[in-house]
Amino acid sequence: MRFKYYGPLLAAALLGLVAGAVGMYDRLANGLNPTHLGSYIPWGLWVAFYLFFLGLSAGAFLVNILVYVLNLKTFERIGRLSAFVVLIALVCEVQFILLDLGWLSRGLYQFFLTPSFSSLMTWMFVLFASMLVLYLLKTHALLRGDLTRRANDPESGALRGLYGLLTGGKTAYGPEDAARDDRRVHLLAKISLPVGLLFYGTNGAFFAVLLSRPIWNSALTPLLFIVAALLSGGALIAFLTYVFRQPDPLNPSRLCHSDELCLGLGKVILFLLVVFLGLEALQFFVGYQSGKETVVTSLNLIVGGRDWWVFWVVHVLAGSLIPLLLLTFGGDSPRSVTWACFLIFASFLAVRWNFVLPDLAVYKLEGLDKTFFDPRLRTFYAPSLNEWLVSLWTISTGLLLFVLGVRYLPVITENGGEPHAR
Amino acid sequence: MMSVLLAEDPLVRMQRELRRAKTAKAAPQWVMVIDLAKCIGCHACTIACVSENKLPPGVVYRPVIEEEIGTYPNVGRRFVPRPCMQCQNPPCVKVCPVTATYKDENGVTIMRYERCIGCRYCLVACPYSARTSDFGDWYTNRTPELPGLLEGRSKTADGYEAKPAPEYGKAWPDRGRNSPVGNARKCHFCKHRLAVGVLPACVTGCVGKATFFGDRNDSGSLVAELISSPRVFVLKPELSTRPAVYYLK
Repeated sequence: MRFKYYGPLLAAALLGLVAGAVGMYDRLANGLNPTHLGSYIPWGLWVAFYLFFLGLSAGAFLVNILVYVLNLKTFERIGRLSAFVVLIALVCEVQFILLDLGWLSRGLYQFFLTPSFSSLMTWMFVLFASMLVLYLLKTHALLRGDLTRRANDPESGALRGLYGLLTGGKTAYGPEDAARDDRRVHLLAKISLPVGLLFYGTNGAFFAVLLSRPIWNSALTPLLFIVAALLSGGALIAFLTYVFRQPDPLNPSRLCHSDELCLGLGKVILFLLVVFLGLEALQFFVGYQSGKETVVTSLNLIVGGRDWWVFWVVHVLAGSLIPLLLLTFGGDSPRSVTWACFLIFASFLAVRWNFVLPDLAVYKLEGLDKTFFDPRLRTFYAPSLNEWLVSLWTISTGLLLFVLGVRYLPVITENGGEPHAR
Repeated sequence: MMSVLLAEDPLVRMQRELRRAKTAKAAPQWVMVIDLAKCIGCHACTIACVSENKLPPGVVYRPVIEEEIGTYPNVGRRFVPRPCMQCQNPPCVKVCPVTATYKDENGVTIMRYERCIGCRYCLVACPYSARTSDFGDWYTNRTPELPGLLEGRSKTADGYEAKPAPEYGKAWPDRGRNSPVGNARKCHFCKHRLAVGVLPACVTGCVGKATFFGDRNDSGSLVAELISSPRVFVLKPELSTRPAVYYLK
């Protein structure tokens, strides 16, 4: 699909890759040494980004819930886009977490050789792999019809070989194939419902099981993760649905089908935003009421610490209040809904940052800060330039794949979106 | 007076008990007891440990926490050495995704450096912050190289920190990009010393003789006596980690 932002986005992605390559070289050559991570704050920007992309990958999960749980079949039309976005988000996610490992190479094989099933990280790996396989198969089944058509189309030019490769050499695609792919997509979507629920919940439980981390150690955390993922992932899908809208050529000012989907998603996003803010408020209320020193200190760091603006300006104002107003009073305008959704997903890194850092930034043993001085033994953390550059590189890979995918793969169909491969 | 002079040095006794434990039928269960009333906050144990295990910057197995008690002018100071607690119910072991850490038959939590992927989940899980990550820093990073004029960076590093750590009694390669760089690291009660019948470095290096070590299963051992003292306590008992490091008030 041709779209007007293709050139600028492609240029931004390539520029990001070039600039980020400096950081990547340093990271690969010198391990975690160029980072500002330490032993008391062992996780930082890259884990926050991992969680950010984890949330963005939940868009298709939300679409599945709408279609199969709430029986809103109209949302099937954004199945392709949402499935493709999941793949991109998963690619970014896995890059961030691999780059965060002290032994990146071992991370690629040690899970297979000596897994420990008592660790939720192992289950995260298993569920991540399951999600990747499910969505690869689903995206393939969704696109196969159009890919076959393009492989046979002389207008595809040099890309015919690629399309042929992606279809596995298939040259004909009849109604039977379409029906089979349709069944396959529905089956995969249904399987991805429990797998997705477990995946997002397990990521929350990963933090929640740590007894010595008072903010994370709560039964609320897995639930918060699921809602957060649905919120940020859903907001991204709503945003993209509008960005790639195809107006009615006869009456461009009329609400097109994409607009209606965007408005429908807007209502769901508003509901999820209210639930998420309610859960977050509960976390603060229970934390402050408990009066436990480590909890109160962590919460105080969020609302009044060095990075207070991340919470108040980025999360509360830009990521919550403004979207709340836009969705409440502009819920019938696709443009307002799109802006609200953009603000929600773009500011969600702030939520992840405030989840990861404050609990780590409090000493678990009183007096530890005055005993052995070293930059790696502090509870102060600000990401290094290397961490930002590596993040830029990783995000740029995602952007590049997305831009190329939308341009050259039938992720968004020209006719306004067929539900599946038909 | 005579009895004081003839009392056996606790180090000699613990050394003898260590030899006895090695010949015992059941695997010894090592415990450490730290008498806070005797600790003078000299940090000799920290230094002995760093030197013994050739720890790089930012990696510390046994810091001594200094606590100020009361408000001026009624103030006091307390020193709490904090090795790995070698918990009997260790939160760090169960979170490791690749079984790179486990409890050995002596109740010591061990690292398998060659398996560790450096995810640092164990660091986050430890309630005592007893694990540190090796980020590959060198003490000599900023030492200049001035051949002919100065024993520069390389020579200085060769003399100490480039040498492999003796941990776990293995022949680790020279420190460069090899493990344990990139791994989680922790106190292991100087397992390599125990293997040859020598007490941990922090015990022998303790100036105030405030650290005791031995086999919990040996009813005649000094540590068995001490852990039944009414002065005994453990850190964060509410977390049910069941530490093998005890403190005496």
